[in-house]
Amino acid sequence: MITRKDLLDIESLETSEVEFILENAKPFKDLFTRSVKKVPALRGKTVLSLFYEPSTRTRTSFEIAAKRLSADVTNFSVSTSSVVKGESIQDTVDTLQSMKCDYIVVRHKASGVPGMIAEMTDASVINAGDGFHAHPTQALLDAYTFKEILPEMKGKRIVIIGDILHSRVARSTARCFHKLGVEVGFFGPGTLIPDAVPEFIHTFRSYEEAVAWEPDVMYLLRLQLERQKHNFLPSLREYHQTFGITHKRFQALREKGTWIMHPGPVNRGVEVADDVMSYERSLINQQVENGIAVRMSVLFSMQPRVAARALGDSGESSS
Amino acid sequence: MIHEIPNGPQLFQGGSIATESDREAKRADLLVEDGVIIGIGPALGIPEGAEVIDCSGKILLPGLFDMLVHLREPGREDEETIQSGTEAAIAGGFTGILTMPNTDPPIDSAAMVRFVQSLARENARIPVQTAGCISKGRLGKEMAEIGDMHATGARLITDDGSSVQDPNLLLRAMQYARSFDMLVGSHCETPMLNGEGVMNLGSMSYKLGVPGMPAISEEICIERDIRIAQHAGARIHIQQVTTSRGLEIIRRFKNEGVAVTAEVSPHHLLFNEEHLAPDYNTSLKMNPPLRTEADSEALLEGLIDGSFDVIATDHAPHSSYKKNMDFMAAPFGILGLETALLSLFDRLIKPGRLGWDSLVRAYAKNPRTILGLDEATGLKEGASLNLVIFDPEGETQITRESLQSQSHNTPWLGKTLAGNVESVWLGKTRLI
Amino acid sequence: MPTTCLLTEADIANKIRRLASEIVEAHPSGPLGFVGIHTRGVVLAERVHQAVTDLRNEPVAYGTVDISLYRDDLDNLGTIPAIKSSDIAFPIDGRNIILFDDVLFTGRTVRAAIDCLMDYGRPSRIQLAVLVDRGLRELPIAADFVGLTHPTTREDHIRVSFTDTDADSEEGVFLL
Repeated sequence: MITRKDLLDIESLETSEVEFILENAKPFKDLFTRSVKKVPALRGKTVLSLFYEPSTRTRTSFEIAAKRLSADVTNFSVSTSSVVKGESIQDTVDTLQSMKCDYIVVRHKASGVPGMIAEMTDASVINAGDGFHAHPTQALLDAYTFKEILPEMKGKRIVIIGDILHSRVARSTARCFHKLGVEVGFFGPGTLIPDAVPEFIHTFRSYEEAVAWEPDVMYLLRLQLERQKHNFLPSLREYHQTFGITHKRFQALREKGTWIMHPGPVNRGVEVADDVMSYERSLINQQVENGIAVRMSVLFSMQPRVAARALGDSGESSS
Repeated sequence: MIHEIPNGPQLFQGGSIATESDREAKRADLLVEDGVIIGIGPALGIPEGAEVIDCSGKILLPGLFDMLVHLREPGREDEETIQSGTEAAIAGGFTGILTMPNTDPPIDSAAMVRFVQSLARENARIPVQTAGCISKGRLGKEMAEIGDMHATGARLITDDGSSVQDPNLLLRAMQYARSFDMLVGSHCETPMLNGEGVMNLGSMSYKLGVPGMPAISEEICIERDIRIAQHAGARIHIQQVTTSRGLEIIRRFKNEGVAVTAEVSPHHLLFNEEHLAPDYNTSLKMNPPLRTEADSEALLEGLIDGSFDVIATDHAPHSSYKKNMDFMAAPFGILGLETALLSLFDRLIKPGRLGWDSLVRAYAKNPRTILGLDEATGLKEGASLNLVIFDPEGETQITRESLQSQSHNTPWLGKTLAGNVESVWLGKTRLI
Repeated sequence: MPTTCLLTEADIANKIRRLASEIVEAHPSGPLGFVGIHTRGVVLAERVHQAVTDLRNEPVAYGTVDISLYRDDLDNLGTIPAIKSSDIAFPIDGRNIILFDDVLFTGRTVRAAIDCLMDYGRPSRIQLAVLVDRGLRELPIAADFVGLTHPTTREDHIRVSFTDTDADSEEGVFLL
């Protein structure tokens, strides 16, 4: 059961709502093997893709998800040159409101913008990533992928490695796994692990310490190559040696059968050595596939605000 | 409602007077003639021909003075002018303010001081003191003409808006200003540590996913600036302290006898970083930022024990367009003048956590003393009338329409605060 | 409101046997597939499938559909329902399909099921088998195999209980 207009972050979801979205994702995934991969559930609805930050992967994933639900998808091009820093969100939203979209999928580099938009519009707002704040659909697809291979989630362990400080994926994914009973650890350079992380997170001082904790999954974050410029890291080479899954470390993980996840795209030679990409226990491709199913579930689960609602005989079979 | 008071005595009868010596306001009447207080006492008789002003149930306060106000004239008259800013001040119970030099162009010369003063004489109903910049253009490189500005009546020099990054410039400015006994004000932050931060660095900045400004940025700058003042033998005023460690540093230097005074804002006493979630409310975005609840508690202690000499709002008007931007892009700063007294009353004085004595000391007396003003600093016999009549049983709704300021960026917008500024009297004039 | 029992547990079993034999009579051979509509249509389909397998030489394929994604009233629901997987593992093309539901009422569920089925492939024929036909059709849909025809009014409520899906009540079909 879910009665919600917007999906802005994991924090505001009840655990039961998280489980609901994941449960509903399975039937959507099953559709992918049919010849007709579409269902008419969102037929005639308009989904607007409002991406202020470029992103081909996430945007395409949402687009496919919406289209498989038979919705009409439009990309609202926000040309980076015309968006002056700090453009009034109100102006954009006023334009969108007049277009009467049902769903708006937003990605913005400033945290809090999807929330602002959600306040101002009747459409369902789905946060596709805002600043370092949240990326709820990524967290949900990560949880779904994890659950597929380790259905008994409680008590399992996951270590998230990399630039936690600047990562909305780390924040949302950690919170989501925690809600589902998985133990979460963080590891990375001292400059990129915030001091004030939530209490439930185990922080590790070294790769060896993280591995000794016996995680079931190593979740690798993408490293932005610019971090070096601001004195967060001396070099990518050193990052790979100290914090990455080097060839040698990979051999050890393979022996243990540890699973690997990554939100993509992967920086080969930085987060992982090249050979990890062909590892049988790499879940990176499943994450992408599941992303579409989970996003279908999310779009199906949220309800835009409609002025007049006829109260149907909900639940009662009008067969 | 402005009117010249008719000649003849006036008796403000039945109210209670707030002073720097008692927590509670004490029952007393006030007798005024020709704009001068000629008698104070519990039950003054009504002299012949006196106008009686009924103050029963009201608190009589000395007019307040705010030492950190941004009037946006010249430069951003769409956000605030000297007139609208001073009207806002009067509405908030202030009869004097010190305006900051980070205008456009900045107040970094005697000519600019004179310009702003003349605008104030024409447009403001209360005296407006001016601060001047420490550096030319407020660029932090070369010293401004401090002597000339002092001669023209500037009361304090500060590069507020920014800290002085070059320690040598700060030292020279202090040594130079010493000869004029000109007070140096310091906005304490270390920009390279703050980086792109938009709020306090801590668990809330993690949760909201925005870059943070660490407390040490303020703390080490406070330490540095006071040490430099100590070395230079100069007076220093630390503006807008927000960290408990920063306060401890100030206490330590005070104990050593350094001539340092310190300031806290009403909003840092009443709000903390947790109030920023989940809405990313830009009306709580300011620099220096709201810190933790523990810091707010410590700051209140500091006000009560006198470690803080002064309360000041850092009144910073910004247009709604700018404040409607996302949290990263919105400018720092919120309004303060019209809600300072009300919010302090509503949240601290009325519940008994702060006494009227602290307020009178920090918000009426000390600011004027520190700036060397011979304006009346209290309700005393022989002093020129400088009075606010405050109704503790009333309440004030803060709305766009009720605000005198041209801007509306206050966290109290749409809220109702206990208390009401009923009237403000200055010399022979009733201002509201 | 008094509750009338329209079919007891034993009655249901009889109806199922009759449906099974009618179906086998109509389809003695050839590719045949049963598709149950979630939730109680699935139980009916399973039971009839069991009975038919005993009567017919050739095997009958079996699948289920959840029509939540094909409903015409998604906008009017207060809360979003949980969806179950549809599971049709056999090829639909060129096959005779019999849809199963517990109660035939307005016909909208069956309409949705037909659309769903069509997205899986192109059956040569679709027929409908129901336990109870209560009338009051809103679409031109008719059942080919009916357990019990019982005309009702809009205010009536038909409740079907199977032990498989409604563990805490006795099995039967009731009119409330």
